[in-house]
Amino acid sequence: MWERFFSEMTKETLEILRSVAQFLPRLMITLIIVLIGWVIAYVLRYLLRSILRLAKFDRLSEDAGASQFLKKAALPSTTELLSRFVFWVAWIGFILIGVSVLGIVGLQEHIGRFFGFLPRLFAALFVFFFGLLAASFFSRAALLASVNADLPSPRLIAATVRTVIVIFSVSVGFEELGIGEHTILVAFTIVFGALMLGLALAFGLGGRDLARRYLERRFMHEHKEEREDELSPL
Amino acid sequence: MPEETILNDDFLRELMNVGEVDLLVGVPTYNDARTVGQVVQAIRSGLLKYFPRQRAAIINADGGSKDNTQELVRAASISDMHHADNLYALRTLHCISTRYTGTPSSGTALHTIMAASDLLRANACAVISPDSTSITPEWIQTLLQPVVNDVNDWVTPVYRRHKFEGLLIRNLLYPMNRAVYSSRVREPYPTDFAFSGRFASHVAGLDTWSEEAARVGAEMYLTIAAITGKFRIVQTYLGPKSRGEGAPADLVAAMRRSVGTLFWSLDSTFNIWSADLDPEPVVTIGPEHELDPEPLRFNRKRLHDMFARGVGELEPVLRSILSHSTLCQVQQVASSPEGELGYTDELWAHTVYEFAAAYHKSVISRDHIVQALAPLYRGRTYTFLAENRDNSPEALESNVEALCLAFERSKPYLLEMWNGRK
Amino acid sequence: MPLPQDALWYKDAVVYQVHVRAFYDSNADGRGDFRGLAQKLDYLQDLGINTIWLMPFFPSPLRDDGYDIADYHSVHPSYGVLEDFKAFLDGAHQRGIRVIIEMVLNHTSDQHPWFQESRSSHDNPKRDWYVWSDTDTRYRGTRIIFLDTELSNWAWDPVSKQYYWHRFFSHQPDLNYDNPAVRETMWGVMKFWLDMGVDGFRLDAVPYLVEREGTNCENLPETHVIIQDFRRRLDEEYPGRMLLAEANQWPADLRPYFGGGNEFHMAFHFPLMPRMFMGLKLEDRKPITEILQQTPAIPENCQWCLFLRNHDELTLEMVTDIERDYMYDEYAKDRSMRLNLGIRRRLAPLLDNDRRRIELMNGMLMSLPGTPIVYYGDEIGMGDNVNLGDRNGVRTPMQWDGGWNGGFSTADPESLYSPLMLNPVYGYQAVNVQSQKRFDHSLLSWMKRLIRIRKSLAVFGRGSIEFLYPANHRVLAYVRQYGKDAILVVNNLSSSAQAVELDLRHYKGNILIEMFGRNIFPRIGDLPYLLTLGPYQFYWFRLRKI
Repeated sequence: MWERFFSEMTKETLEILRSVAQFLPRLMITLIIVLIGWVIAYVLRYLLRSILRLAKFDRLSEDAGASQFLKKAALPSTTELLSRFVFWVAWIGFILIGVSVLGIVGLQEHIGRFFGFLPRLFAALFVFFFGLLAASFFSRAALLASVNADLPSPRLIAATVRTVIVIFSVSVGFEELGIGEHTILVAFTIVFGALMLGLALAFGLGGRDLARRYLERRFMHEHKEEREDELSPL
Repeated sequence: MPEETILNDDFLRELMNVGEVDLLVGVPTYNDARTVGQVVQAIRSGLLKYFPRQRAAIINADGGSKDNTQELVRAASISDMHHADNLYALRTLHCISTRYTGTPSSGTALHTIMAASDLLRANACAVISPDSTSITPEWIQTLLQPVVNDVNDWVTPVYRRHKFEGLLIRNLLYPMNRAVYSSRVREPYPTDFAFSGRFASHVAGLDTWSEEAARVGAEMYLTIAAITGKFRIVQTYLGPKSRGEGAPADLVAAMRRSVGTLFWSLDSTFNIWSADLDPEPVVTIGPEHELDPEPLRFNRKRLHDMFARGVGELEPVLRSILSHSTLCQVQQVASSPEGELGYTDELWAHTVYEFAAAYHKSVISRDHIVQALAPLYRGRTYTFLAENRDNSPEALESNVEALCLAFERSKPYLLEMWNGRK
Repeated sequence: MPLPQDALWYKDAVVYQVHVRAFYDSNADGRGDFRGLAQKLDYLQDLGINTIWLMPFFPSPLRDDGYDIADYHSVHPSYGVLEDFKAFLDGAHQRGIRVIIEMVLNHTSDQHPWFQESRSSHDNPKRDWYVWSDTDTRYRGTRIIFLDTELSNWAWDPVSKQYYWHRFFSHQPDLNYDNPAVRETMWGVMKFWLDMGVDGFRLDAVPYLVEREGTNCENLPETHVIIQDFRRRLDEEYPGRMLLAEANQWPADLRPYFGGGNEFHMAFHFPLMPRMFMGLKLEDRKPITEILQQTPAIPENCQWCLFLRNHDELTLEMVTDIERDYMYDEYAKDRSMRLNLGIRRRLAPLLDNDRRRIELMNGMLMSLPGTPIVYYGDEIGMGDNVNLGDRNGVRTPMQWDGGWNGGFSTADPESLYSPLMLNPVYGYQAVNVQSQKRFDHSLLSWMKRLIRIRKSLAVFGRGSIEFLYPANHRVLAYVRQYGKDAILVVNNLSSSAQAVELDLRHYKGNILIEMFGRNIFPRIGDLPYLLTLGPYQFYWFRLRKI
């Protein structure tokens, strides 16, 4: 019986040893891939940081209003954030590659999905970022235009423009990610619709006089008289 | 060669027929049928009366008018084919018209005229605005004579103006241009002017025409090009300037064309203006400046409101352009009640310089910077009008002079801002 | 011996204007004469001209270059005798050359026997042949022509103690055409020369024949009646002879002298000539086309006479003040070149002796509608001498060769009526007939070719003209058409090469044949016809549909 026990034991031990011997090199490879991945990710982070600094990306994001947003959230600057993000994405990518080398069944599929998701993530971030940029630019343009045109509540107009564009870009971004697209779309539709309705009501009720005056000016040629106080600057 | 792209084949054929000329008068137009006829008639009489022997041509660069502007210009030709009894000319006088490509802009029109002048080897060239309805034939002589006889390169006009006309020129363009470039050109943004063939070839060959600022504010750009290129500049008195109904009442548009271009020019000319320049006096033929003491009606309250509200509303924008101390001062001025508002010369000069520096650094969109200056300019205008309300023309001029000195004194401040981090 | 009758011969004529005194001296007295002129007829025949216009050669005190005639029926003794004239006339006719002479109708010399008789007493039968008056206040509205020398149109006659009327110099009393006897006598004078065989008259100073109170005494209807009377008699008795009017007037004012084809056959086109010079200097065709546009149509049997230069100054009466100043500044910077209201210079010096410009101007002269007149010496490019007084600078002796007196005379140089041109550019050793005859490319040889081509087609003399108005104003282009013949003339008035696009759609399908070299140019199609021309170049093309 002992004989049998020992033989089984030896067999199993050999089996374990054999599988360990089989597994160890893979693990080594995995570790090496992870290590190399870290180095590459680090270099990538370094490169990206330098490029963004050279391109004065911070100013661009400041323009977009992203920096203020980050500051409020006590986060580092956009450049730092973006380079860290790239670092982690790259390293995680390598870790996953390393893990896939281990040949654990079922994991492969998830890793493949992760890599398939990456471009969409980037696209979404891209849309979101430029959405912020556009929102900032157009809201400022609206602010300046309404101030110089002497329109009432320029800030409200500017904020409205910003909100609409931000929501729009967020919705496009999420759609790209494929997360709750319907919900976002519906939410956007509701917000936009409400805004328009509000404006319609505001103009219809509150701005009745203004609208009438405007139309009168437009068609009764009264605006010439109004303009007389504008001195020719040149 | 910029000519290759700016002169289309039909126009080139017409230029070939005109051949070499001594004098050329350009009229940039866009839907100016109402006034262009009268202006071209005056130009024609001026040429016949004062330069009967010279070979001359009138060239109209049109932005695609839909109202027969081009036909009206062409009809003014003096040829042997359509003989007119009421005038006697020695020579054929071609009036040709071309539709330049691209959107209507004074820059493209002027570039076309200058390229034509260069090709025709015109000795002297004048440009007359189609809405200068106060033009007399003498203008042609007054503008061209200094080039033809005295080899000047750039002839800029001095007008007889209403007391409160041309406020942007008096409050910003003239003082700043004078301080920065050390040249006392009274009308840095002229609509009627003349230049030499030498200057035309120089300018027609520049590659900056492709830039928005040069296209939009070509008149300003040319003045600066004349100053920085060390061309011989002379001012000449033209008389009353019509307060054309088509004059840009839109302040922002006017500022884009003039202030925007002035700011823009600072980039490429930094080496010139940052050096210590000797102030160059500009010879003026005729009265230095002449003001009509009769004041115009204007709405002070509206100016004040727009200024005060603009400063308030634009605070986040102004914060990114102006330095903290200047912004505080401006806000202080804006918050003072209507009667006591005082936007001082010193503060105004600093404001403008900080805007120029911000423009240079593109802290935000350059166009937004120019737009953001408009409300502040209103505040300055308010102060200027209030100060000079009952002043004689002489007193008003001395106030303008004081402002100029303030700009000149603050020039080091501009340099400091230019290189500084903010 | 009259030539074969062709009623419209003057339309095809190429006229050579010559002063007998200046052409050739056969008897070594220092002045040209009719024998000399007759000897040079072969030269003129060779040149190709077919009509000679003679300056006055009548006996005269020569105080107005022969326009002060003292005897209408004879020849001035220094030019020979009447027989010499007859011999010359016959010689010309034998060579197919017609002869036009001067006829001064308006006035005589005060040395003329008629005036001597007229002034001798108040009741002399010839008293009424001139215009006499007790006062000098009649006809006040009349301008004085020679402002430089005359103060009034009336002159006091100390002999008969009355004023006499004169439009020109005071030694040229005006004949009284209200007197039928004067009219008959003058017709008699014309008959005298017509009977001898003269082919036509250049009638001098015609606008001034009759005076009427309250008018400016020019171009009066009564004057026209007298001319119509002369013309009627001429046509009846001497068909095929011609009357040429000298009247320095605007074309519209000249038009009545053609009447309905029953007054003058031809008249000078005075305003055109200065404008040709002006157009050339301005490098602009406008002056030329403009004056021709303003020129009224004339009856079918009438013709304009065109000239570049003549024995007088280049007159600037028929131009505006701006134009006159321009002409003076461009063509007579030196004040000594100016005389009265004009420029006293010859063709070659006016054009800076530039062969290309001389050719262009002659080309236009020969191709514009009208009968061209070549002033003697201009065919070889003779110069002028502004140091000689009055207009004598353009009346120097013809330069035949480089020898003694330029071949003009064998007399002592000092005894010539006028000094010869001596300077190295225009002097007779540089510019003369003999040297130019030897070379095909000389101006003389070129003029011969030009005249020959001009005479080869009747369209030059008789055709209509239609101006093309190419957008290039430096190019003067026109089409002459007569019957089936059509020629296209393109002139470049500028000193630089030019391209021109001609609208010839009307002549589509024709090919162009250049008339000097007879080379073929491309056929006219739908597109504008593109030509390029060198400085001052011109083309004569024959349009042919083949």
